[in-house]
Amino acid sequence: MLETLRLCVQLTKRNWIVYRKDLIANVSPTIFEPIFLILSLGVGLGYFITDIDGRSYTAFLAPGLAVSTALFSSFFESSYGFYIRMTFENIFKAMLTTPIGVHEVILGEYIWLSIKGAMMCSLLAIGFACFGLIKSLWLLPLIPIAGVLIALPCGALGLIATSYVKNINQFQTVYAFFIAPLFFFSGIFFPLAQMPNSLKYIAYALPLAHGVEVSRALFWNENVLYVLGVHGGILILYSAILCAFAYYRIQKILQN
Amino acid sequence: MKIISAKEVTKIFSSFTAVDKLSFELRKGECFGLLGPNGAGKSTFIGMLYGVNSISSGNLEVFEMNPKSQARKVKQRMGVVTQDNALDDSLTVIENMMIYASFLGVPKKEREKRIKDLLDFMNLSHKANAPIRFLSGGMKRRLVFVRSLLGDPELLVLDEPTTGLDPAVRHLLWGKVRDLKAKGKTILLTTHYMHEAEILCDRILVMNKGKSVAEGSPSELIQKYCPGYVAVYDQIEKNESVKKFGEKHNFLIQEDRSGIYLRAPKFEDLLKMQEETKTFAAQLRPANLEDVFLQLTGQELTADA
Ligand SMILES: Nc1ncnc2c1ncn2[C@@H]1O[C@H](COP(=O)(O)OP(=O)(O)OP(=O)(O)O)[C@@H](O)[C@H]1O
Ligand SMILES: [Mg+2]
Repeated sequence: MLETLRLCVQLTKRNWIVYRKDLIANVSPTIFEPIFLILSLGVGLGYFITDIDGRSYTAFLAPGLAVSTALFSSFFESSYGFYIRMTFENIFKAMLTTPIGVHEVILGEYIWLSIKGAMMCSLLAIGFACFGLIKSLWLLPLIPIAGVLIALPCGALGLIATSYVKNINQFQTVYAFFIAPLFFFSGIFFPLAQMPNSLKYIAYALPLAHGVEVSRALFWNENVLYVLGVHGGILILYSAILCAFAYYRIQKILQN
Repeated sequence: MKIISAKEVTKIFSSFTAVDKLSFELRKGECFGLLGPNGAGKSTFIGMLYGVNSISSGNLEVFEMNPKSQARKVKQRMGVVTQDNALDDSLTVIENMMIYASFLGVPKKEREKRIKDLLDFMNLSHKANAPIRFLSGGMKRRLVFVRSLLGDPELLVLDEPTTGLDPAVRHLLWGKVRDLKAKGKTILLTTHYMHEAEILCDRILVMNKGKSVAEGSPSELIQKYCPGYVAVYDQIEKNESVKKFGEKHNFLIQEDRSGIYLRAPKFEDLLKMQEETKTFAAQLRPANLEDVFLQLTGQELTADA
């Protein structure tokens, strides 16, 4: 048990060392896309939308965009990233000859995804806080929780995709028909409340909408305990189910 | 102590039998060769030794432990030179080794020194800070040796360690393998170079299509399957006279697209054949392991091998 943890930490260290080499290139897209979005939509479109659920459009967008970074960073890491490490770089082949086993490879991946999700989400939240978009600064330390709760289920989805694709190009299909709609229809850009019921149900059947709720509660200091309990609880459940399934799929590839 | 004990070990991938009732024992301090054509099941067997391939039936023990359920303990004492280098291309030589040393639980204080010593041993010190992509094929292979030795393993598994390397590097690696053996390491080697197996291995197992077809020391195998001497004529034409001579004297004759092989128990017989037929062989030599290998696995070489 302790040894498993130690090995997972070493694996995470390895990922961090590689990631650090191109830190700027790795961090920029995840961080700057939401910043451009909040500038173009919040500031630009916000000129016309002055009141949305009682807030400025910028304030409305900020929490959802912050948590969306966890979706993208974890999905890309566990799809393209993991796939490349597994099939092109072949690094697990050699790792598995060391005391590292398949479960450490996968658990290590979950830890790494969580750290990245938490990190990205926090970076943006700190940036937004500078512009007064976070109501109670003492809630800022809780933001990483939202990042982890989104990174785990979405990263697991990426791993599941990795276990099904026949080649690396097929991730584009997953992105176009699953990840992009998830991003656009999870209530980041408009309140889900006045959407048709069917769309609402679909949105809440998927993880991101719950992450947006958690992030909003923390940014706006509204019903924090209730939202963390309900939506956070749902996300924990999703994480457990999806991570377990991803584990089952990936271990079948790594060992015979 | 038996380092590896395999009893009727079998591996079935869905319906394809890759390893078929393989049995052998590897004793401490021995260098054991696992030979066989492409697809014979060598790498599949090696995968079973470190737990990435499960055992479909039979019994396999490494250090008297179950390599699947006690994989971590087994792997702590075993180093593997994998068939693919599988080096971490995003990292430098030293970073690669530091990470693997950490996986193996080498104490922090010792890591640097151990890596430095092993890079010295494999003549790679000058490349310590180079990214992996700047290494030649031979350097990468030597680095994989370094990686396999980081944990100071008792058992070293070498899966085609010299495939694709130039003769100089190959000779260098043979020397290193001998050094390691002299230091008391037990070695399991697979290779397609029969000469390599002949000079390095105490015992050899030849497998074909997952099955063991022969086992023994190189000289035993030669004695048993191809005793004597060989004359090789590498021309396709003009072989009629030697063939006739061979048939008359009951030589073992093998003919294929690359030429004709005549085997005789005595060297003098082959010399006499040259004199009488006035055709000179491209090679006149004692039979070697390659002859054994071809004899045991060659005839049924098929397109899917
Ligand atoms: N995961 C797998 N699923 C199905 N078949 C497999 C799998 N791995 C290996 N095989 C098959 O098992 C057979 C043995 O493969 P293996 O790699 O063990 O051969 P080998 O003796 O190492 O060959 P080579 O000398 O080419 O390395 C091959 O026919 C291969 O296609
Ligand atoms: Mg092989």
